Amino acid sequence: MGSRASTLLRDEEIEEIKKETGFSHSQITRLYSRFTSLDKGENGTLREDQVNFRGFMRTLAHFRPIEDNEKSKDQNGPEPLNSRSNKLHFAFRLYDLDKDDKISRDELLQVLRMMVGVNISDEQLGSIADRTIQEADQDGDSAISFTEFVKVLEKVDVEQKMSIRFLH
Amino acid sequence: SSAAMGTSTPSQPAPPFPDERLDIFTVDYNYVQIPYEVTLWILLASLAKIGFHLYYKLPSVVPESCLLILVGLLLGGIIFGAEEKSPPVMKSDVFFLYLLPPIVLDAGYFMPTRLFFENFGTIFWYAVVGTLWNSVGIGLSLFGICQIEIFGLTDITLLQSLLFGSLISAVDPVAVLAVFENIHVNEQLYILVFGESLLNDAITVVLYNLFKTFCQMHTIETIDIFAGIAKFFVVGIGGVLIGIFLGFVAAFTTRFTHKIRVIEPLFVFLYSYLSYITAEMFHLSGIMAITACAMTMNKYVEENVSQKSYTTIKYFMKMLSSVSETLIFIFMGVSTVGKNHEWNWAFVSFTLLFCLIWRALGVFVLTQIINMFRTIPLTFKDQFIIAYGGLRGAICFSLVFLLPVAVIPRKKLFITATIVVIFFTVFIQGITIRPLVEFLDVKRSNKKQPAVSEEIYNRFFDHVKTGIEDVCGHWGHNFWKDKFKKFDNKFLRRLLIRENQPKSSIVSLYKKLEIKHAIEMAESGMISTVPSSASLNDYEENIVRPLSPDEMNNMREILTKNLYQIRHRTMSYNRHSLAADSSEKQAKEILIRRRHSLRESVKKTHSLNRNRPAITKTTRFLSLPKDTKLPEKLRIRNKKSFRVGDDSSDSELEAPTTVLNLKPRARNILQDQRHQQPQQQFRMELRNEVNGDHEGRGDHREAAYETHASRGYRQPLLSRPRFGTLSEENVTEDVRSARPTPPPRLVRWASDAERHNNKSENQTY
Repeated sequence: MGSRASTLLRDEEIEEIKKETGFSHSQITRLYSRFTSLDKGENGTLREDQVNFRGFMRTLAHFRPIEDNEKSKDQNGPEPLNSRSNKLHFAFRLYDLDKDDKISRDELLQVLRMMVGVNISDEQLGSIADRTIQEADQDGDSAISFTEFVKVLEKVDVEQKMSIRFLH
Repeated sequence: SSAAMGTSTPSQPAPPFPDERLDIFTVDYNYVQIPYEVTLWILLASLAKIGFHLYYKLPSVVPESCLLILVGLLLGGIIFGAEEKSPPVMKSDVFFLYLLPPIVLDAGYFMPTRLFFENFGTIFWYAVVGTLWNSVGIGLSLFGICQIEIFGLTDITLLQSLLFGSLISAVDPVAVLAVFENIHVNEQLYILVFGESLLNDAITVVLYNLFKTFCQMHTIETIDIFAGIAKFFVVGIGGVLIGIFLGFVAAFTTRFTHKIRVIEPLFVFLYSYLSYITAEMFHLSGIMAITACAMTMNKYVEENVSQKSYTTIKYFMKMLSSVSETLIFIFMGVSTVGKNHEWNWAFVSFTLLFCLIWRALGVFVLTQIINMFRTIPLTFKDQFIIAYGGLRGAICFSLVFLLPVAVIPRKKLFITATIVVIFFTVFIQGITIRPLVEFLDVKRSNKKQPAVSEEIYNRFFDHVKTGIEDVCGHWGHNFWKDKFKKFDNKFLRRLLIRENQPKSSIVSLYKKLEIKHAIEMAESGMISTVPSSASLNDYEENIVRPLSPDEMNNMREILTKNLYQIRHRTMSYNRHSLAADSSEKQAKEILIRRRHSLRESVKKTHSLNRNRPAITKTTRFLSLPKDTKLPEKLRIRNKKSFRVGDDSSDSELEAPTTVLNLKPRARNILQDQRHQQPQQQFRMELRNEVNGDHEGRGDHREAAYETHASRGYRQPLLSRPRFGTLSEENVTEDVRSARPTPPPRLVRWASDAERHNNKSENQTY
């Protein structure tokens, strides 16, 4: 299966992905075989949302663990996809459903509702959401902007939580 | 005549029996003695367990093992006092042949294999080198103590003290399980201590037999020492091989048991016990054999047996191991009382001291070495818990009773010392480990969590990470693990697993739900619209006010109790309960809600543009527990009516009868809409459903999911106070108003169903 995967993925594509995401050659081929096994419809995309392989890799690149040597090199290049800031950005976008760069109370409620069992009433959930916003909100707009989001999570070890080790 | 009888003795007159009157009522205790006593002991043990849990606080402070020993002591005292002789000592072969295997089987079957193999190097290191270190250390230092004349121990030779050292240094899986049960240390730590206690059996067996034989030999040659080392490999690897072999045979057997499901659980138990006693027959390590067998079996058997058999296996295993453990501890208590003791202050106290010192030293030194090879080094706290968790228990106890008195003249001294060590570890260490764990934990976390939001975000990140891991198919860091999985998929699974069919409770839940909806539709023909929860959220401008500490605590408590746990790939081992329950329930909840929200979204898109051809989605519920397997294509089109109260009923649905009842009603309703074609298909698919159920497992099960004949709407699955149950009056109104619209959907959907039915049957999840 490995050989089949690499013939479908051209070498220059692999190089591009490597540059963009920072994965190694073998990781990319392995993830490609994973991608093809997920893509049962065999149309080069996952689901109807049209996630193609590049998008797939880009998303996964956010989850690469931060390596020490990356911090030092390439200060003037574009920020690598798995930097802390980009990881946080990814998480922020998961909350921010309407993509207005703010997490509103409603969006927070939706996410909370998904994470929580059915025993919690909406009033309780509402007050939890209010509290969450209150803790983060600094400019008083009852919504969480990206900077406020970052500030709340400054003590949380995001690099560790949002990283998985990819097989080589 | 005698010739006919075939006897050559001359016939003798029958000896006269004394005349007895006919007895109306007799007591023949001798006839039932053995089973009677066994039953009484087991009954007593179980009643004692009930007694402990009556006072709810007790098990959390004092581990059950301590209480059971106390009960045993009490009993032993009673028996001793009543009969003036030593109470029955737990015979070692009863322990090794009957009481120990169920516990190890239970532990091996539910062992979190992923974690175990990730830490295998460390575990192996601790088990082998650690036990060696302990044995030799304790043996040598005790010998040194014995040389001191005032203690009166000079007749103990070096070999004897080495023998004693080897049996006293064995960390006991039973005791470890019993104590670590309640304290809930993190998985990694638990697996290190527990894995060590399992694997050190190989070393213990070898050393014990080695030194025992050496004690009896007059001269020891170097060849014997090499033989001893070779024996270790034979014992360990041989045991594991036997276990794996029989595990594969068991998996293979279960491949063919689908006609006789009732005795499926029996195979699991028989094969694993067989592996144990076969290993014991060759004097290999039975514990390692049964562990290997259980771990091998688990993967494949789980997929071959039916759901009910699987539950039976789990419960029965837990029951057996629980009973065994209880009996072991009670017997330990009973056997302590008696005349088997010889007290010598020096020996006993130094034994205890050396056990503790050598254990601590050993863990410390070994960890320094192994940390160089580990990806995540072990901290001091981990080391402390590992050292402190090295509990001794029934294995040492039985081994010391097995010592031949001829070889070891001072056996009673050894017995006393062993019992003291065991009691110390079980009682003192067992009781204090919990507060120690909490104490150390408090020190460790230096950042408090003042924010509710942090907790939410943390959990959110965990969920996201788990989801991405799913997408990547990320299972472990190991190249070898990957290779093994490939080999496994290509050869082993094909050989050992009957069909790759999903069979889990989630699947049966879906079945139930579909049937319920179909019934409801047939019975009441109701269609109702329920507004989506989002639109009902009318949030006024909430002025955010500071919360009191009480409210904060309240909030935090709510969150900790109700936030969904991240799905763990490996279930943590728990002696007393089957870990799957809460997460299964949670998974079901998540699934139902997800399905509902997908339906809502489909409904929205559907109502927006009617003319779009129906896209059937492939919904893969990736964020599910490991053992839920769903058919690939679930048809989600219309919302269903669903009275909230029904959700709690978990009764086993008699599927065949309900479905049969459905058919005539369904036909009526469908005929109303003047569609013969989908009706045929509907009935056909129902028939498949019925057939499938009769077989217990059907290839047509996937068709069953497409019987979405119902046209009701499902209520969002939120808490009951907010959305009450649907009342009949509202419903019927909507039925009348909405009647014209359903038919087109039904037609299109039915034909879709047919089209996709073929496709889905060729693909497996």
